[in-house]
Amino acid sequence: MENLHQNKSFWSKYVFSTDHKTIGTQYMIMGMIMAGVGGYLAYVFRYNLAFPGKSIPFYGMLGPQAYNAFVTIHGMIMVFWVGMPVLLSALGNYLIPIMIGSDDMAFPTVNMLSFWIFAVSALVLIASFFVPGGAFGGGWTMYPPFSAQGYVNHNPNFFTALFSGTSLLILAVALELVAMLMGGINFLVTTINKRAKGMTPWRIPVIIWFINIAAVIFMFSVGPLVAGAFMLLFDNVLGTGFYDPHRGGDPMLWEHLFWFFGHPEVYVLLLPSLGVLAEIVPVFSRKPLFAYKTVIYLALLSAFLSVLVWAHHQFVAGIDPRMATFFSIGTILISIPFAGIFLSYMATLWGGSIRMKLPMLWAIGFIGLFLVGGLTGLFLGSNTFDIYAHDTYFVVAHFHYTLFPDIFFGFFAAFYYWFPKFTGKELNAKLGKWHFWLTFIFFNGVFFLLFFNGLAGQHRRINDYSSFSLISREPYQTFEQIATVCAIGLMLSQFIFLYNFITSFRKGKKAVKNPWESTTLEWQSDSPPPHGNFNPYPEVHRGAYDYSLPEAKEDFTPQNVPNVN
Amino acid sequence: MDAIATSKPYQRKSVPNGVLAMILLLVTEAMLYGGLISAYIVNRAGATVWPPPDQPRLPVEVTGVNTLILLSSAVVLFLFNKRINKVGKLDAKSTNILLITILLGATFLTIQGTEWARLIGYGLTTHSSIYGAFFYTLIGAHGLHVFAGLCILFYLYFSIRKARLNGSVGQASTFEIAKNKISTCILYWYFVVAIWPILYRLVYFN
Repeated sequence: MENLHQNKSFWSKYVFSTDHKTIGTQYMIMGMIMAGVGGYLAYVFRYNLAFPGKSIPFYGMLGPQAYNAFVTIHGMIMVFWVGMPVLLSALGNYLIPIMIGSDDMAFPTVNMLSFWIFAVSALVLIASFFVPGGAFGGGWTMYPPFSAQGYVNHNPNFFTALFSGTSLLILAVALELVAMLMGGINFLVTTINKRAKGMTPWRIPVIIWFINIAAVIFMFSVGPLVAGAFMLLFDNVLGTGFYDPHRGGDPMLWEHLFWFFGHPEVYVLLLPSLGVLAEIVPVFSRKPLFAYKTVIYLALLSAFLSVLVWAHHQFVAGIDPRMATFFSIGTILISIPFAGIFLSYMATLWGGSIRMKLPMLWAIGFIGLFLVGGLTGLFLGSNTFDIYAHDTYFVVAHFHYTLFPDIFFGFFAAFYYWFPKFTGKELNAKLGKWHFWLTFIFFNGVFFLLFFNGLAGQHRRINDYSSFSLISREPYQTFEQIATVCAIGLMLSQFIFLYNFITSFRKGKKAVKNPWESTTLEWQSDSPPPHGNFNPYPEVHRGAYDYSLPEAKEDFTPQNVPNVN
Repeated sequence: MDAIATSKPYQRKSVPNGVLAMILLLVTEAMLYGGLISAYIVNRAGATVWPPPDQPRLPVEVTGVNTLILLSSAVVLFLFNKRINKVGKLDAKSTNILLITILLGATFLTIQGTEWARLIGYGLTTHSSIYGAFFYTLIGAHGLHVFAGLCILFYLYFSIRKARLNGSVGQASTFEIAKNKISTCILYWYFVVAIWPILYRLVYFN
């Protein structure tokens, strides 16, 4: 249908748009640009680690200060400016209104505002590289005292302290959190109030459930971080001394406030990706999702547990051993709901007639890689082992094995799955396979060997190990070099994806309405969906995973089909 | 394929969108205060002497009166809402009651401001001690929320006035929209008022 809203100027249609799909695209593109920035930083410091003291192509020499700043901002970008916008905002914006059978978000203007605040936050972050003193280099966790020296260093100039790398980073994070909060409230209100007729809670697709649970975790945990971040900012610009023990403050306070948000945050990133898998695995196995309700209950359980595990990041900070045991047990417990969710996916695969299409490849790659990350997490959850492995490459490899599949494999699975729907074009499957296999192999090449470097005692914040002969002995320096070569390969492989994206978008084959023969509502709309998504709006008659019903003629029965006969 | 063709998206009405969004925002706000208050309690519990002997004492009595002023603003707002629901329209008397709430809130903020000015004069600043730092952060955060609440109530007042002036106030649909708007805005004010006695008790009393 040609909608009334089509005749708009370029600015109101593509830039200051209130359409949920356009805003989703804006978030996705912004996330990709920031992934490019984060990837470039990773390239520079990985090159430095493999070949210390050498000049880096496309950068130059990297000093220890800049090395730490690059590592810090790389982590910040990948979590807050890639993971959050791409998984939560882009997927949430694209999918929530259309999968629940509605036209748009509950508050389209707030949604637009949310993106533009996010864009400003990204600019503030990038700007922090170009102020005197450079970007903040004390780690993405911003622990005091490194992060609270603005007032001492710039005393008493309020503005130099405000425009320092540290303060700008805090401001950027605060702005980003505001943007995500606006988005999160929008998601929840939309899902609660704008569901299509007949879309009862137990008929909502798992991904919509998971994005909303992620939004709830985010909203519950973000308040203390914002409180802590403002206190940190005041320490820097007003000299309050909240985190300064000389003045009656306590640096541990920041660690608690930060990780009360910081740990639930990883589940905020994980749940949308697991939701993507829950959509893809049944479609390409032609089977209903195994134990749909249990999966939802498990996610709710994990949301509850996620706010009880934060201090496992602080085992070496000198917390009470009794408390450490409590958090160890909590950490190990939280693997149970996630193991249950993965079990459900594997049980869905079991006995299905599997179609090994591109989205399915990424989904299965995700499951395989995440297993490595999850199992090493069990080691780290135990405080006795963690005290040894803390801040080594073991931890680095562990969280990359969880977050890389989560953010990138999850995103690519979603991208290859929904691209035909939202652009109306088909992707080149051959290039897609190259992209998958190269990414998969190079990713393992980067991080698998780093587990051994970590166990050998290599610490992650040292830019040059050549003067530590006991630790930089062979084969660990070779491992670093292999990791760097693979990291460069990993980044170059993403150009295949970019090429595929652009050429398919411009002159790809026209996609049909429901290429994967899926049941959820978005596939019942046109490809690409018009402004307003549906005409007429659908009524829901069944759950989201009615595959291979014995009484139906086809092996999938869309949610808006009243009865199969 | 669809059983009933509908040209408009379905909208559930048990809790209006605005009210729901406000409730969610306030949960987040409550957690923000939870973070600030727990930081304060932990720090205070760890301090050997509280408050520090060389720091000025906080004005307990004046602020006590001020607390009553803020609480009464919420009572007036409650009466405003009750009246709106009873008479079923936005009459002149209701808008005047709303104005009283705004005035009470503004009085609270003014008295807070004068007290702050006096305290700064006595030497209590953000960097004079952690006592001052917590005082200005906690009470300042609340002050900002009161200010935001006043802006919201002003917005409400002027949008009702506009509806009364252009005559659309008589229509049932306008009243329905206005009622949702009112419920959303007063929720925020109730929150701002409800959090104050907790802060007053925790920060002003030793």
